[in-house]
Formats: sequence, C-alpha cells, structure tokens
Amino acid sequence: MKHPLLRTAMAVGLAASGVFAHAETQVERGEYLTRAADCMACHTAKGGAPYAGGLPIDSPFGTIYGTNITPSKDHGIGLYNDDEFFAALNEGIRRDGANLYPAMPYTSYHRVTREDSDAIHAYLKTVEPIERAAPETSLGFPFNVRMGITAWNLLYGDGVPLESAEGKSEAWQRGQYLVDVLGHCGECHTPRGMTGAMQPDKRMMGAVLGGYLAPSLLANDLAERGWNQDDLSSFLKLGMSDQGAMFNEMYPVFHNSTQYLADPDLNAIATFLLGEQPPEAKVLTEVALDELSTSAQRGRQQYLNVCAGCHAVSGEGKPHIAVAMRGNTTLRLDDPRNLLRVIEDGIDEQQFTGFERMQPMPGFADKLDQQELTDLLNYLRQTWGGTDSDLALADVQALQQEAGSE
Amino acid sequence: MASRSLQLTLNGKSVDPADIPDDLLMIDYLHEYKNLTGSRLGCGQGICHACVVIVDNPDGTSEEVRTCITGAHYFAGKRVRTIEGHAIRDEEGKVSQLNPIQQRFVDEFAFQCSYCAPGFVNAATVLVEKLQRQPVAKSQLEKVVEDSLGHHICRCTGYVRYFSATRNVLTELGLVREG
Repeated sequence: MKHPLLRTAMAVGLAASGVFAHAETQVERGEYLTRAADCMACHTAKGGAPYAGGLPIDSPFGTIYGTNITPSKDHGIGLYNDDEFFAALNEGIRRDGANLYPAMPYTSYHRVTREDSDAIHAYLKTVEPIERAAPETSLGFPFNVRMGITAWNLLYGDGVPLESAEGKSEAWQRGQYLVDVLGHCGECHTPRGMTGAMQPDKRMMGAVLGGYLAPSLLANDLAERGWNQDDLSSFLKLGMSDQGAMFNEMYPVFHNSTQYLADPDLNAIATFLLGEQPPEAKVLTEVALDELSTSAQRGRQQYLNVCAGCHAVSGEGKPHIAVAMRGNTTLRLDDPRNLLRVIEDGIDEQQFTGFERMQPMPGFADKLDQQELTDLLNYLRQTWGGTDSDLALADVQALQQEAGSE
Repeated sequence: MASRSLQLTLNGKSVDPADIPDDLLMIDYLHEYKNLTGSRLGCGQGICHACVVIVDNPDGTSEEVRTCITGAHYFAGKRVRTIEGHAIRDEEGKVSQLNPIQQRFVDEFAFQCSYCAPGFVNAATVLVEKLQRQPVAKSQLEKVVEDSLGHHICRCTGYVRYFSATRNVLTELGLVREG
C-alpha cells in the first residue's frame, strides 16, 4: 500500500495536470499530449514509420500529404527550435516562414499552451528520425498559393471561439482543452463553410466527411442517442460500449489517441461534452414488428437473411464478433447515411484494447438492391433506433448518388 | 417464429416450395431439411469459410456465399450448388467421377482431416469458372489463387498442398496463359 501522503500528492497532481501520474518528465508529458492531440493520425502513413508523414488527406481543394515530423534535419523538423515549433502548432507558420495548409488543425491548436507545445516538441525530438521525404502536396491554382492562406488566417486563424469557461469546473475546463484544442474534435464534427473554415455558429453540430456523418456532439443530441458520461468515457477508452464500436474515421482516433488517455481526462471530456448537469440519456424500448411500417416489416426478412447470423435475431449482437443493434447509437441518428454506408461497404476487422476485437463485416452493396436496402434501414431504425420516420426508395437513391459523386 | 415458403434450385434440381422458418440459417436448411450434410459448420461466424456454397448468378458468374451467417430465405429463387453437386453420379446415385478439382485434391493429398475441404473445393471451383471466362497470366497465377482461397481456413494447415493442387489443376485445364 502506498504512503497516504504519496497518494494525496498523486491525486493532487492528477487533478492539477490531468495527465498520467507517472508522466513526470517533459518527454513523458509530451508523449501523452502528442497522443491526446492525435498527431499520429495525419503524420503517419498506413503501415508507415511513426510520424514520418505520407498520409494522403483528401480535401475539397486537393490532396494534402501529412508531413514528416520526425527529428530528421533534412526531411523532418530536426532543425526547428521550440519557438518555431510553437509557431507551426499555433499559427500554422512553417520554419521557413511559409504558411502551412489548414489541413494542419492549427486553428484548433491555436490555444495549445506554450508549456504543452514545448513538451510535445521535446517528445517528437526523441522519436526515430526517418530520413525520407513525405510526398509533396501539390494543389491546383489558386490553392497552391500559400500566400493566399495569410488572408484566410486573418479571418479564421483564431479558430472557432471557445465557449466561456466562467463558473465551470476544473474537469469541464480540462475537457474543453482536450476536445476543442488538443483533440481538435471540431475539425470533423463542426461543419465547414465554403472557405473550408469551421463555422462558429455550428460548433460540434455534426458534419459530413468522406461520405460519413461525424455526428453532432452537442449534449442534448448525445443524450438523445443514448449517451451518458460513463458510457462516453468508456467508449473513448475501450473503443466500444453498449452503444456500439468505433468505426470509420473514429477507429484510428481511438487507436492512436483516446485509448491512451487517463481516466480523469476521459471523464473530463465526457463532462465537457455532456455538461455538468448532463441531460438524461434516452432509453429506448424495442418496437414490435406489427407496429412498423410496411417497408420495415419487409426489411425484417432482409435482416434475418444477411444480418442476424452475426447481429442475432433479437439484435443483441455477439461478443467479439458483431455489435448489438439494440441500443446502437448509429441506428438512432436522424441521418441514415452512416447506417447505409456501413451496410453497403462493410467494416474491416478491428482490434480494440487487450484481446478484444470485432470481426470484419462484409459489405452488402452487391447483395441487396435499393428497395431491400431501404426496407432494411427502415426495419433497423424503427425497431431499435427510436424513429418512426419511414425512408422512401428515393431517399436511399439520393444518398447513394451523393456518395457516388464525391 | 413465423415461416414462409421457400423455393430454390439446389444442385441443378428445382426444390419444391416448402414452409421454412423466417430465421433459419442456410446451413441448417441444408443439413436438416435437405440432408445435404457436406457443407461444414466451422466457426459459425463467417470467418473459416468451411460452409460456403456456390450461387450461380443470372449473368453467368458464380460466387461463394457463407451459409453459417446467411439465412435460407436469402437464397429464394437462386441457383445454389453444394459440395454434393460437383461429382458425376451413376444411375444408382453413386459417385462415378469427381470433378477435376476434387480429383486433384485427392491425387495430391491436399486435405488432411477434410473438415475444410468442401469450402476449398467450392472456392477453387468458383476460381476455375472465373478463369474459364478470362484466363490468367502465369505471372499472376500465385496471386489469383491466394486471393481466391486465402480466406479459407485449414486448421491442419494444409494450405501448401491446396494451393499447389489448385495451381496445377488450373494449368491442366488450360486456364493459365503465358505472360
């Protein structure tokens, strides 16, 4: 048993810094913060060396490649000093004075503290230098003119204004820092305007990205979809909860970032997102077959034909194989596109913490026709999604067309 | 559980419509209703592929479908082949000639315990039929066999002989061109 004084000291340390008790050195803190800021996501190519760049990031303006941020002097950021690193992180200014493309979320990182920036830099200096150039980003005119970004920065460089922290608890404030600043969650969950900047009046209201909806993270919307604080923080820690498992873009976020966060930080995130007086999570009851629409009743047979083998006849799922449909948060989104995309495209096998995994889900784009897909969506959403909305064939066709035109 | 009428074609013969539970999985239908027990229930979760049958599509292509995770009614109106449907039988119903893949697997002792063999035979049959439409270049042979059979699991680890026998039978059937 630890000395009571030591335990108190650790507890105080945790509360004050919100990071691992063992993160004592600047490099250790930096490693933790680098995880929290999920630098890995963009600066590591699939199967590539950590932080060596090369990941293609599709934007409406062209493909932007994540850069090499290892300490390589020729190809990475080995020549950066702390001031230059801070300028890149906070202002989007490269060491040579050029503007970074705003794919680098410096409008979110704008409020990263100098102390944290130095710690992240200290950690990045310890990773293995990779002597290899990441592919050069080459956008078409006018987006290839980096000078143009200066004007953009004047308008948007400060990012979406943060909600006032006045009167808020320490946990809430820490959560805000993790969500809005380090975690840069708004980069996906806040819709962007024509110029590609996050829209301040639509903070965290959900946005479509790569054909999937990054859903609203507003407290009432989360509660409506069945989230409470415990489930939300355990979802970030384990990648899964009663509401389902991470997939699409959130899976690497979990894999590279949220699974490494300490419990106080995860709770802080949940406190910030759901609020200090969280709305009650809505609990749904299953709707009986004879209360469903005609289309949904037809959809039940599609469910039994191609889904129930893994998700089970009554929708309870199978551990380590397939998530439950009962209570699943994706079924509860008003927008059916994520459900449609998952059914059409499937999901690769996914590993979670420990030995937990979910096996691959096949895509059914070539197995179900449009009417069958519509019926299946209606069955899932009306039975377990708490909606009485009945999608028409044209709704599904429109979503497919939208996905195809991207 | 409610039931509904199911009609399909099994190994070239039309099956009379019968009342089948809505949620019956295809593997149980084959085993319990049609006494076709050659399709094997392995993992029961769509991974090992021991349970696959072949579905003949209207466009002339064929594909594998896993019966342990697919409902019987998915196959309504479809043409399905199981492992029992490949060999030629005499008037008494006894096997008189194996199909070229089955024969090659026997000749090369490709299978050991045989539990996975029906799935491998079906996968290789689908591959033969695909290459009959479009032969493969020799340089791509290894890859095409890997892509077609690689998702089948053999717990005796007999992959080398399965893959080798498949390459040989494809060559023997004239489905591999130079290049």
